[in-house]
Order: sequence, then structure tokens, then C-alpha cells
Amino acid sequence: MKTLYTYILVALAIILAGCHHIDDYSNDNIGSFQALWNEIDRHYCFFNEKDVDWNEVYSRYAPLVSNKMSREDFFALMSKMIDELRDGHTNLSSPFATSYYRAWWSDYPQNYDGRLIEQYYFNFNYRQIGSFTYEVLPQNIGYVRVPTFESGLGAGNIDYIISYFSKCTGLIIDVRDNGGGNLTNVEDLVNRFISKRTLAGYIIHKTGPGHNDFDQPFAYYFNPAGPDHLGWTKPVVVLTNRSTFSAANNFVSIMKLLPQVTVIGNTTGGGSGMPYSSELPNGWGIRFSACSILDAEGHTTEFGVEPTEGFDIDMNPEDVLQGRDTILDAAINYLI
Amino acid sequence: MRKLFLLILTTAFTAIGAYSQSGDTMTLRPVNAAYTLRAGSAHIADTYLTPLKYSGWTVGFGYQRQQAAKFSPERWVMQLGVSLDAQRTLNPAHSANMWSAAIQIDYAMLWRAKWKYGLSFGVGPQASLIGGIRYLERNGNNPASARAAFTFNATGYAAWHGNIGRQAVTLRYQPSIPVIGAFFGPDYGELYYEIYLGNHSGLAHCAWWGSYFRMDNAVTLDLHFGATALRIGYQGGFESTKANDVVTRTCLHSAVIGVSGDWISLPSGNALSKETKIITAGY
Repeated sequence: MKTLYTYILVALAIILAGCHHIDDYSNDNIGSFQALWNEIDRHYCFFNEKDVDWNEVYSRYAPLVSNKMSREDFFALMSKMIDELRDGHTNLSSPFATSYYRAWWSDYPQNYDGRLIEQYYFNFNYRQIGSFTYEVLPQNIGYVRVPTFESGLGAGNIDYIISYFSKCTGLIIDVRDNGGGNLTNVEDLVNRFISKRTLAGYIIHKTGPGHNDFDQPFAYYFNPAGPDHLGWTKPVVVLTNRSTFSAANNFVSIMKLLPQVTVIGNTTGGGSGMPYSSELPNGWGIRFSACSILDAEGHTTEFGVEPTEGFDIDMNPEDVLQGRDTILDAAINYLI
Repeated sequence: MRKLFLLILTTAFTAIGAYSQSGDTMTLRPVNAAYTLRAGSAHIADTYLTPLKYSGWTVGFGYQRQQAAKFSPERWVMQLGVSLDAQRTLNPAHSANMWSAAIQIDYAMLWRAKWKYGLSFGVGPQASLIGGIRYLERNGNNPASARAAFTFNATGYAAWHGNIGRQAVTLRYQPSIPVIGAFFGPDYGELYYEIYLGNHSGLAHCAWWGSYFRMDNAVTLDLHFGATALRIGYQGGFESTKANDVVTRTCLHSAVIGVSGDWISLPSGNALSKETKIITAGY
């Protein structure tokens, strides 16, 4: 009989070991609220930086949720709840709307007008390849606009642009209103401005569901494009505004620490958290920052990258009326 | 009677080690091969991708090769299995797709004993290698989750070979459970981009029942028609893993259909004689 009990206990141990717990959520407003709160509670990476008490947020919002709420009312309430994170990378996606936290840019002057440059600086006569536009300014300075990192350029295309600017004395890279994209496209561009393996920054991921469960920062490096491709060693100015966000924010944080680079414009919009996707029982999607990226000096850039000291410049409305871009003019004057 | 189940292929070249000869008695060890297709239901969860449990369908292809071992053909059987499986599953709201695919290769050596009434049993160690991926279409920076494991398993079988009416059949049940090994798992919030950048620490985990539980079950019925057999049956797979607070669970139930048969190659000039001893692997 004792042997039988032993066998039963071993069998139970095997069965129990095989049942790792996974939360069950009901497919209604309350279940979706619980899933949303839990996912952010366990994965969000900036609670400390933003001084957000997520338990206190729960205590305020939980009593407001009921299964009798309409989908629209529930969406509005949940959007408001995740806006408490003050994070442009946090979105709730339903079939009828996607929520955005906009204050990171809407509270600031835009400081960019693409048409103004196209019309008054290039008379609509500029080159375009992919999403990039580029041309030589009358002051013999190369100007390239990178509106997004969602799509990149081939190495040969970038070679051609650099070759086109070969006689220029300086280069302006305009990433104002660049909302980000893929970090691999950032690397493809940055590696034209470095001549040796360069520390690009650090990544910190979570090691568990606790708010302070973080791994040690992992240093990541970029390598030069290599001998088969062209690089740029002359002075560079990077133009920024508050809508320079996410991967573009990362681009600026790396470029700013290169010796030949000056950043002119405004503090960027931040967005240094790598967004992580999840979902709710009602079928809606959720996205939020889950993995923090620091700059090469170990500083967070979640709240933006400041321009080089002395170059925090806004657009002057009088300049705009005269067809001038104050920030671009400052860059030209700096490079002349 | 058993010779009816053999498909004899006479080749012009040397044998492939499938026979041995001592004195005037030749021992043949036919290869029992089975090719099967399967389809059924799938239930998948992976908290790295989503907190929700997905359900849908699974399809798969299986190849199994068995042969009595050369060193002790009456007692030991070598078994090789290759499985390819794919699943498409949906979240509870049916608003997102998860695609999964995996390949599994198993190699076992089974000690076996034949009992009366056509019953036989086997038990032995098995090595198993699994590689696969789960892909959740709606996710951005964490769209996929890789599966990889190498385990040492305990496996065994019970088989009955006999007749139902005039139909020769083989009924067989084989479970398999990993005991120890290693499996892949990223850190709790680690994105694959960071792994791509070179952070490879902490990706391998010890597989034991507390962190990695898997059980494969196969029940098959071979209906013998001459040299080949129609194989029908059930195959189930359950896997649950936990590493770095990431939990995965896979539960598959499939109906199986396929063909099986015993195959052998003979050296040129040799033919079966009354002294030839045939040791099958399937039962």
C-alpha cells in the first residue's frame, strides 16, 4: 500500500508540474480592464521615471468599470487610464479608434513647415528617393530630409546621396516631424558617420513582473558601414523638433555624441521605450513601452534629447512670413 | 504469416546492414516505416506574445522508422521519428491570428519483451530535438516566439498484434515524457532585437518537470493488407513551459491516417529460405 501511495504522489507531482498557471480573463469590460491593468503593471518599464503609482490608478478606475458600459465609453475610460502614463508609445486599439497620448508634442510649437523649405529654399527642385529628399543648398551645404525611419534606404542609395554631396562643406540632416520607425534603419544611417565600432547606447529589459525587476544595462554598438561604402566625416547638423520621436529620438541621441555633429532645434519628443504589443479579451490591442533604451552616456532619453548647448531655437513667425526657416537658417549659418 | 507483411525489395548491391548471417541461418531485420498525416484541434498560449489562450486547428506530417537493433535484435528496437506540424489559432474574440510551426526529431532505443496472446511491450530512453516558432500577426516588436528544446525522454509502448475476424491488425500505444534537458526562452521583457544585438545571456534553461513538461501520446491501429498497412489513430501532444515568468502551453489533439509497412533490402543473389529468421520491429 505504501508503494501505491508513492506512485500516486509521483503521478500527482508530474501532473501538477505540468500545469503552469496562466490567468483567465472574462470576455467583458471587467475582464478586459483587469487584463489591461495587469499587462501594463507587469511589463511597463517607466513607472519610476514617471512617478506613476499604478496601484493608485487601479483604485481610481476599477470602480468606474462595469459590464453595462458601452464599448465607446469603455474605450474612452481605458484610454484615459493609460494616458496617465504620459507615454507616446502607449496606445489602445479598438476596431473603431486608436488612442494616442498627444501632449508630448501638442503642448509645444511645431517648428517645422515642409512646404516652406521645398518652396523657398529649393523652388520645388529637389531630389527624392524613397522617403528621403535631398539637394545642395546655395551655400554649398547638403540638405537631406529624413521624415521617417519606418522605411530605410539601400546602402547603394545612401552611397549615392553622400557622393552627390561630396563637394559640400557640411551636411544638414532634418529629422523634424520624424515619428520614428525601425532601429535597424537608424543603424544604416548612423554607420556612415562613424569610423570605428561605436557605443550606441544601452538596453534594459525587465526580468520579471515587479516594477523594479530590471536586468543590467546591455551595451550595444554600431559598426562603420565598411570599406565598400561611403562615409561622411565633415561637419553635420541634425535638425530636431518636439515631434522627433522614438527611433528618430534614438538617432539624435547617438548622433549628438559624435564629435562632428551639432543638434539644432528643440528637445526631441522622447519615446525611448521599445514598445511591446499585447491584447485584451475583448479583442482590442494594446501597446506600451516595455524595454528602455539609454544613450551612450547611460542617460534616459524618454523625455527627449536636448539640442547642443546654445542651439535651442524656435521658429520665428516673422521669419516664416518671409519664407525663412529659422532653425534651418541657424544650421546654415553654423556650417558656413 | 508474418512474411505476408513484408515488402521484399531485392537490390543489386550490398545490403544496408539489415541482415546478419551466422552459419546457415540468416536473420533479417526489416525496417518498419510509417508515413502519416494528421489533423485536429490546437490550443496554444504563450504569455510572451499575449495573455490570452488561442484555439484553432493543427495539421502535421509524421515519419517513423523502426528496426530491430543489430546487436540484440530480439530485445532492442531502434526508433526514429520526424514530425512537422503547423497550427493556426485565433484569440477568443477572433480578432487576431497566431501561426505556429515546429519540427520534432526523436531517436529512441527500446528494450522490448514479447508476451503471450500477441502482446508486446517496450521501454527505453529517447532523445528529442524540437525547433519551431509562434507568430502573432498583430504584434509589433514582439511578433514571434521561438521554440527550441533538446531533451532526454522516457518512452515505452504496448502493442497487440492479432486478428479481428479475418483482418490482421496491430494496436499500439506509445507515450513519451521528457525527463531532463534544455530549452530556449528569452528573458521576461527581452525583445528579440536585443538578442539580435548580441545579448545572449540567460536564453538556455534546464528542462525538468517544474519548468518543462511535455507528454506525447500516440494510439495507432494498423490494418494490414498484404505487405503494407493502413494506419489510423490518435495523436496528442501536451507541453507546458515556464521560464523567467513566461509561460507557454500547447495542447494538440489529432486524428491520424497513413501507411506503414516492413521493408528490407537483400544482397544480390540472396533469397529468403526456410532458415531465414525475420525479426520485426513494429510489434
